[in-house]
Amino acid sequence: MSDPIDLALVILGLPLLACILAAYLAITKRSAAKYAHVPLILGCATGAVLGIILLLKVAADHDHRFISDPMTWFAAGNLKVSFQIVVDPLSAIMLAMVTFISTWIAIFSSSYMHGDKGYARFFAIMSLFVFSMLGLVLSNNFLLLVAFWEGVGVCSYLLVGYYYEKPSAAAAARKAFLYTRLGDVGFLLGIFLLWKMGGWNMSLTAMFDYMTKIPPDQGELTAACLLLFCGAVGKSAQFPLYVWLPDAMEGPTPVSALIHAATMVTAGVYLLARCAPLFAMSPDAQIVVATVGGITAILAAFIALAQNDLKRVLAYSTVSQLGYMFLALGTGGAISPVFAVTAAMFHLFTHAFFKALLFLSAGSVMHSMGGVIDMRRFGGLRKLMPVTHLTFLCGAAALAGLPLLSGFWSKDLILEALTKAADEGKSYTGGYYILLLVSLVTVFMTAFYTFRAYFLTFWGPERIPEEAGHHAHESPSRMTVPLMVLAVGAVFVGIAVEPFNHKFSHLLEHAPTLLQAQAVSHTDMIPHHFNKWLASIGTALALGGLGLAFVMYRKGTETLPGAIEPVFALSRNKLYVDEVYGAVFVKPGGVLAFLSSAFDGFLDAMTRLISSIPRFVGWWVRPIQNGLVQFYALSMALGLTVLLTFVVFRIAR
Amino acid sequence: MITLWHYLAVAAAMFGIGLVGFLTRRNMITMFLCAEMMFQGVAINFVAFARYHGNLQGQVFVLFIIAVAACEAGVALALFLMLYRRGKSLDASDWQSLREMGVPPTVDTVPLPVEAVTEDDRLAPAGVRPKHIPSEEEAARV
Amino acid sequence: MNLFALSPMQESAGQIALAAVLAIVGFAFLLPQPKGRKVAVGIAALIAASAVFVAWIYTTYGQPMPDIIGTVLFCLFSAGALLFGTALVVQSNPGRGAIAFAFVILSTCGLFLLLAAPFLMAATIIIYAGAIIVTFLFVLMLSHAGGPSDENNRSREPLLGALAGFAFTGLVLFSLYLSQGGAQAASAAESPKIAQRLPAQVLTLEERNTLLAAVAKLDAVEEQLAGDTTPIAERGRVDDYFKGVQDQIATVAGSNTVISQYGSIATRLEKVGEKVTPLRGDQQSLRVLRQTAEVRKQNEKAYDAVVNHLFDSKPDRATVKAELRTLRDQTLLLAGVGDLPARNVGNLGYLLYTDHLLAVELAGTLLLVATIGAIAITQRKGAVA
Repeated sequence: MSDPIDLALVILGLPLLACILAAYLAITKRSAAKYAHVPLILGCATGAVLGIILLLKVAADHDHRFISDPMTWFAAGNLKVSFQIVVDPLSAIMLAMVTFISTWIAIFSSSYMHGDKGYARFFAIMSLFVFSMLGLVLSNNFLLLVAFWEGVGVCSYLLVGYYYEKPSAAAAARKAFLYTRLGDVGFLLGIFLLWKMGGWNMSLTAMFDYMTKIPPDQGELTAACLLLFCGAVGKSAQFPLYVWLPDAMEGPTPVSALIHAATMVTAGVYLLARCAPLFAMSPDAQIVVATVGGITAILAAFIALAQNDLKRVLAYSTVSQLGYMFLALGTGGAISPVFAVTAAMFHLFTHAFFKALLFLSAGSVMHSMGGVIDMRRFGGLRKLMPVTHLTFLCGAAALAGLPLLSGFWSKDLILEALTKAADEGKSYTGGYYILLLVSLVTVFMTAFYTFRAYFLTFWGPERIPEEAGHHAHESPSRMTVPLMVLAVGAVFVGIAVEPFNHKFSHLLEHAPTLLQAQAVSHTDMIPHHFNKWLASIGTALALGGLGLAFVMYRKGTETLPGAIEPVFALSRNKLYVDEVYGAVFVKPGGVLAFLSSAFDGFLDAMTRLISSIPRFVGWWVRPIQNGLVQFYALSMALGLTVLLTFVVFRIAR
Repeated sequence: MITLWHYLAVAAAMFGIGLVGFLTRRNMITMFLCAEMMFQGVAINFVAFARYHGNLQGQVFVLFIIAVAACEAGVALALFLMLYRRGKSLDASDWQSLREMGVPPTVDTVPLPVEAVTEDDRLAPAGVRPKHIPSEEEAARV
Repeated sequence: MNLFALSPMQESAGQIALAAVLAIVGFAFLLPQPKGRKVAVGIAALIAASAVFVAWIYTTYGQPMPDIIGTVLFCLFSAGALLFGTALVVQSNPGRGAIAFAFVILSTCGLFLLLAAPFLMAATIIIYAGAIIVTFLFVLMLSHAGGPSDENNRSREPLLGALAGFAFTGLVLFSLYLSQGGAQAASAAESPKIAQRLPAQVLTLEERNTLLAAVAKLDAVEEQLAGDTTPIAERGRVDDYFKGVQDQIATVAGSNTVISQYGSIATRLEKVGEKVTPLRGDQQSLRVLRQTAEVRKQNEKAYDAVVNHLFDSKPDRATVKAELRTLRDQTLLLAGVGDLPARNVGNLGYLLYTDHLLAVELAGTLLLVATIGAIAITQRKGAVA
């Protein structure tokens, strides 16, 4: 058990076991279904404890990496796919983080989903979701990774469409599935290209070793990296495929928390971090990654400005924050990849805490408001829900990047990376400079929309929609305790691991993959330091956003000055992106579908014509089937006689 | 001298007669007996060949035929009983329901000959015809 | 018969076709019809058909009949089988039909007996007797009390049915004719080959006759030896006798068709057993072969005794007599083997439980399943009409 690989396998197996148990409950035991949350909570809690132990083990090991013995999954020709897991600082951090966050989300949802008729089904899929994510994190083989990657996709489909009787939920699930699938096409192509380039290796570590030893063609490598990035764009909801994530709010709120914080959307970031050696060799791909991240960050932040749906604001903020992570990752070609990946992973890490917190708080609000989530219809909940109010404030402050909260430190690291890339980068310094400006603007906007949502929800006079009924009170302790725990995390986790002791970056500095990336990128390691100017600018911008939000929304209602009304209208309508997609892709698709349908009709007519011939023959000979046994026997005997005649006289001649 | 061919010819003739009976007769029991007769024709073939080759394989085969025929007799008679219970008749042509949809049922057009009922048929079950047929009252008194 | 100058094959085909057509006509008239049937015409046609059939068999396969009893019995049984079969088919009363079927079974059993299958005869009688009695009970139970009924007084497609049945039979007969013997037999007007195409009895009748003749000769030799006072004068005669006996026994073994495939007996005598074993599996034949070999050995021994002890100066007649006696007994035993295979049951059992064990088990299972099935069918609920 002390072997890290065994430990990792146990962590991986626990959610699977929970899934099987919950599925069993969902299928058979109607009466015991109300205990379906127990396996998941226990499994994730145990997994979290084991994950932290594993993290310590990895940190203590001098290689900082454990690879399991390969177990052949299937093999065909050059293609050898083995089940092999790798435990290194990257995957260990993810393991611990995913299981920890999932535990609290599971506890929260055990109360939130109470009494739902699909209770056991919900927890079965949640467990499968966690299992798939853990498998994705651990797998050391591209095809295995794809399998878990798709598993995550399927689970998100099932969970987003959890209320499958609601047409909008079904549509959202389909949208999520199809948009991520679009990215996966590129992802698979990239994998096959890499397979060819990487000496026919499917194993990640073997492939990286091969490619660092024998550098591949630059153009091909860039293409492969961009194709991989396609998958990440789909999964992590980046521009232009981000539109599914806000719609995914149709699922239960804990699901949103899980998707946005722990599983699913972080997969893309993790993939790029894991493939850092490849991206480090291709600065062209990196600037694309950074650009896409920048566009996404500012675009999503802009759209989030004027949304009236609390969860939607949070969803767009997630898209925006993911954009930040990709920005950080994208600097990996210009500056030290270790620094870039550390920045991205650190933001991912802190973001998981405060975004899970924010979503669960929003869920708590929604719970007590009877399912209403439109911020215009409620307000001033400060008194009514003190715990939720405080925890939401913690999360919002962390998201806005207010000083000393975890979001502040991680955002600072990203800005630092961008500054370095703009200052001392090897290539595209101008591009990185623009991206730095973009991200600074985004910091301001983030603070603004976050606190807009906060003020609209909790400040001003108390307004409660009639749907709330008797629910309109603070949520039960099973919901508030996870909120409090996560609030503590959102406030302190950043300061605890990075700015003073640099534990987080020390750990990642020793990750073999990142060292490999560092080696191929020919860049200098960046020492730990604290850029006072940058921090001051960031703080000023965040406080500016906060102040503006306070001025505009402290009354808890939205009254817009006429000058910025068109801007807000644009934001409210999501920059008409859905409409543009509709006009550019859906309409031509409709025409094509019509043509295909007409052709299909023609084929149908032909088929009917052909099928009418045997029908006619059948009608003609039908009287032979008259149901008389003796008639059948007679036909048989006569037929046999004819056959025998033929045989006998053929032989006789 | 009787040769193998004599036996084979007789067996073929038996088989043919049985086949004709099976195809034409409508009483299920008669059909069944005709099928058994076809079996016997085949059995003669086997035994004759066994004799011809000087071994017993043919006879063994006939033993199995007899076993199968016994099974068949059991099941067939059970089925006849069931069919008789349903249709009160042993006519194989009564069961036509497995015909194709839209095909009219086959019916017999020529009427059966009506047997004239003679006076003897109305005789009392036993004894000579009584001179005086008792009225109902008298019968009741007795 | 070569009236129309046709080839033998065409002639044979014509005869078969004629018999088939006559049979079709006969059955078409005789089968039960609601309009009534023409019995006389039908019977006449059937008689004609059987006459043509018998004539065809006689011209194709018929031979002078050395075994009169066997031939007569065969004719009796096969005529009975066909006659009662016809009765079963054309009889409108199913009860009478069942009785006719019982006679068919009896005739078939006679044929079985002629074919040296006594166990099958017994089994058939036992099983069919049970089946027939049950059927008969059913018929009595189920048939209408009286008057014509659909199932008994109507036939389905009498002409077509008879056509199918007898065309099939005719074709089978014709292919029989083509496949073996018939064609050559007819082409060579007189055919000794056909006589060899016998059912391979363990001992053919001819073999048996020669064996019996040998026994008679041996008896004569013994009598002569007993009353002998002038050995020198008789010497030539006795020698002749022995030579004759010896030749007869050699002929007995040599005329055994199976053995003769392997060449002359004299050279292959010792190897007979092992040569034949893989080809002739049944214990009965092997036993006969072994017995034949023993007879032959005894024959040589007796011959030696005659040569050594009878023709020298002081003949030892006692030894010669003893040897001759043994030879006679063994020959008689051998001759008796062919009559009725007494060990038929044992051999069948041997074969069933060695080569066909699985089939036996399957047949048993089948019987069990059929029994259960029959019970299940009749017990079904909701069957009340």
